Amino acid sequence: MPESPTPIKRRNQLVDRNIRDTVGQSSVPNPRMRCKNVSVYYNFGEKKAINNISLDIGQNEVIAMIGPSGCGKSTFIRCLNRMNDTIDGCRVEGQILLDETDIYDKKIDVVPLRAQVGMVFQKPNPFPKSIYDNIAYGPKIHGLVQNRQETDEVVEKSLKRAGLWNEVKDRLNQPGTGLSGGQQQRLCIARTIAVNPEVILMDEPCSALDPIATSIIEELIDELKQEYSIAIVTHSMQQASRVSQRTAYFHMGDLIEIGPTEQIFLNPLHELTNDYITGRFG
Amino acid sequence: MNNHTNNDNVTVRTIDLVQKGLARRYKSEKRFKMIGLCAIIFSLLCLAGLFVSISGSGYTAFLQTKIELDVFLDPSVLNPNNLSGADFHGLVKRSFYNMFPEVKDRREKKKLFSLLSSGATYDLTDFVKANPGKIGETILLWVPADDDVDMLIKGHMNRDLPESERRLDDVQVSWITRLEKQAKIEKKFNTTFFTAGDSREPELAGIWGATCGSFYTLFITLVLSFPIGVAAAVYLEEFARKNRFTDVIEVNINNLAAVPSIVFGLLGLAVFLNFLGLPRSSSLVGGLVLSLMTLPTIIIAGRAALKSVPPSIREAALGVGASKTQMVAHHVLPLAMPGILTGTIIGMARALGETAPLLMIGMVAFIVDIPAGFTDPSTVLPVQIFLWADSPERAFMEKTSAAIMVLLLFLVVMNSAAVFLRKKYEQRW
Amino acid sequence: MKKVLLNVWVLVFIMGVGYVHAKSRDYISIVGSSTVYPFATVVAETFGKTTKFKTPKIESTGSGGGHKLFGSGVGVQYPDITNSSRRIKKSEVEKAAANGINEIVEVKIGYDGIVIANSKKAALMDLSVKDLFLALAASVPNPDGTPTVVPNPYKTWKSINAKLPEIAVEVLGPPPTSGTRDAFVELVMDEGGKKFDFINAMEKTDKKQFKTICRTIREDGAYIEAGENDNLIVQKLEANPNALGIFGFSFLDQNIDKIQGSSIDGVQPVFEAIANGSYPVSRPLLFYVKKAHVDQIPGIREFLKEFTSEKAWGSEGYLTDKGLIPMSADERKKYYDIANNLIPLNPSDL
Repeated sequence: MPESPTPIKRRNQLVDRNIRDTVGQSSVPNPRMRCKNVSVYYNFGEKKAINNISLDIGQNEVIAMIGPSGCGKSTFIRCLNRMNDTIDGCRVEGQILLDETDIYDKKIDVVPLRAQVGMVFQKPNPFPKSIYDNIAYGPKIHGLVQNRQETDEVVEKSLKRAGLWNEVKDRLNQPGTGLSGGQQQRLCIARTIAVNPEVILMDEPCSALDPIATSIIEELIDELKQEYSIAIVTHSMQQASRVSQRTAYFHMGDLIEIGPTEQIFLNPLHELTNDYITGRFG
Repeated sequence: MNNHTNNDNVTVRTIDLVQKGLARRYKSEKRFKMIGLCAIIFSLLCLAGLFVSISGSGYTAFLQTKIELDVFLDPSVLNPNNLSGADFHGLVKRSFYNMFPEVKDRREKKKLFSLLSSGATYDLTDFVKANPGKIGETILLWVPADDDVDMLIKGHMNRDLPESERRLDDVQVSWITRLEKQAKIEKKFNTTFFTAGDSREPELAGIWGATCGSFYTLFITLVLSFPIGVAAAVYLEEFARKNRFTDVIEVNINNLAAVPSIVFGLLGLAVFLNFLGLPRSSSLVGGLVLSLMTLPTIIIAGRAALKSVPPSIREAALGVGASKTQMVAHHVLPLAMPGILTGTIIGMARALGETAPLLMIGMVAFIVDIPAGFTDPSTVLPVQIFLWADSPERAFMEKTSAAIMVLLLFLVVMNSAAVFLRKKYEQRW
Repeated sequence: MKKVLLNVWVLVFIMGVGYVHAKSRDYISIVGSSTVYPFATVVAETFGKTTKFKTPKIESTGSGGGHKLFGSGVGVQYPDITNSSRRIKKSEVEKAAANGINEIVEVKIGYDGIVIANSKKAALMDLSVKDLFLALAASVPNPDGTPTVVPNPYKTWKSINAKLPEIAVEVLGPPPTSGTRDAFVELVMDEGGKKFDFINAMEKTDKKQFKTICRTIREDGAYIEAGENDNLIVQKLEANPNALGIFGFSFLDQNIDKIQGSSIDGVQPVFEAIANGSYPVSRPLLFYVKKAHVDQIPGIREFLKEFTSEKAWGSEGYLTDKGLIPMSADERKKYYDIANNLIPLNPSDL
């Protein structure tokens, strides 16, 4: 049952910047993941990084998270596959549901969770192994492939999905670290989709890439949403507007506004969102 | 001082200030480089000096003066069925006396025979046991000369000095000169040095026993300290919670790395010998003690190496769903391996040169037989060097230097193995 | 794969320890005095090469260390024989007995003499232990006769003893790390000090003070530490006829053409005098055998036989070549019997 939508206001009636409750439609029908009142604390509770965020990730959609540096968007996305577990003293409150189960439940094992919710990082980080081994690693440890032939198939399929196959098919045994930055990032995407996840999290995947490599990745994201739900954190508003269907604006740990991308960029409801997208933010 | 500033009060351009200080900056840079270069040259010179002085005094040990004997393998003395009881000593004596028929006096004969090493008898015994078919024939056999003769031939003893100032008297020197004229005395490659164990006779002493002992000891050390050290480092770095307890452990490990090695010897004596009852003087116990000593080094190096693996690799592994153990085993450990290996080699090299802790567990001992296993009594190369350096016989001096050369060779081989392994496993990211 | 390796490694280690525990020793283990070490090693080597037994293992631990290890117990992990440059102490025998070692065989192998020699170019010196004490101690009794000590004032031998020549005191000797030095202070300096009643009395009342007086060698240049190399001392004596040198008897024996040994308390350091004990600066060299180990460890009987054979410890034996002063024929006979019949030491003889 979706929560009642905040009433839409006209452009000249922006919500006062001191109001930090989320405005906009945060829920969608049949979400892939649903976050309820998520707060994250660092340093054993000393520092609150994000505050009471509720947000849904829908089926086959790309949701972009934007906001100034330090607004908590990366922290939030890392909660979605419990990547924050690796940080000492980090605590997550609230609920994050994946298929109606709370991923922070004690009974949940993070290993299958991360197979379900894959992640692509800001800096391309292929393993210092061959291109082939980079892709094959995930399927191998999860037992998705039984023999060399199956592995070959998965590698080929994943590289094709990531649009990298034609560039690397002749040098699968060469190190993945020898590729260009854009290729490395696509290799990482291929590595992620090789385990066939349901959700892909991307933490500023293009921030280290040049515009051409960026546009290739953006096209790829667009294609991937046919099969996966994608959450992407980005610094670039253009990128958010190009690839996403919905956009969430974060500010100092709060989710300020969420809604259809077009609306956020053309007709924001909140004064802070407006300031940010019009570039008035320092 | 320059027109630009005098002309008007235009603000000084940055570039001028930079230019002004440039010469001084380059000069100090140059000075720094020179100091570094001097340090390198100085250490190289020291090293070269060490090598030259050691090989200069040690290379002669690779040659051994030998005397050729015509031995008639008398069937009446040698019974093929009972060779162990045969009087080989008498046979050697007789053969040698035959070369100097004019020596009749008993005292003179004793002096003459003292030119031969007691090893001559053992050589003949070995020869006959290997070739029983030759009994009845006359054979030519090169046997080792006594260490005094060896010193004379190698020029460490001056023939021109008056008789009273050298260990061989004039008659003995004249006999040696005669042997030289007959080409019956010669310096030959000293295989004994590389195949024998220790001996009280310099001409029979060899380095092989100590080399084997070092090998066994280091093998135990490596087999124990490497896996335990890596496991400890991985646990502390990757799995253990960072709390007071792990802090205490860390401080203790760092302290252990600085503990004088003799303390580990005392610990070994108390635990391995007195409590566990392991055999004294064995390379097993030596290896155990040295691995205690090496462990902290490996753990510290291992932790540093693990720490230096970039977090992005860890995230990548976790991101595709690897468990923590898989992340460590498949990605972090291989990347840390070069660093861990470097630490291990440093620890092993230290263990190779160690004598103090071995004193406590009885490895500083006179051991003639080549150790055949981990429980046999054995000694190690640095101990052998120590024992020889302490021996009164002049000929042991060159053996000491030669043993140092062997030890250095051992070290070089170990270090090259480490460099090779590191190169092989080194990955870039 | 790694797990398998780890398991194999643990298994091998456990088996190794078990195997080691069960195994007995098949070689003789010898510890003890560094003075006896050069002789014992030669015998051990000859024994190893001429018999079917393994070469004994010999550790140089010092006499005290040797007795401590030797007296720790019966069993393969304890040594079979300990070398000693002094007789075993009663306390050591008692400690051994407490650890189950009741029968110890004492074998004397010969003597070690320390000589005070000078060049043949100079006159033969006739010294006493008292003269040597006065010449070499850091502090000596006050020459005016009061029972106090003063820093050593003596510069020449004549000032010590009017019979001695008018030459400066200059003695070359071993450094404190040397066993010869230990023996020298014990046999000469202690005895010399005891010639003075008040110092003698001090031994009972204030042992520490006694040792400080007797065992501190003067450091004003009259005593020159010449390193462990006795050959060097011999060469220096030749160059400087006024100097005296302290070293082992074997060096005097080998250089008898160049140097002469001073007589001490009227006795010349000759072979016979050392052997019969009349020369004061000599000590017996011994080894002790744990009887309980004989026939448990192979070769002990045969080793004793080799050590006590005439070709080894006899007056012409190979041990004399290495510098051992052999015992008289009677004594050799006595200890031959003790060694070969394994007659244990009677603790009340000590």
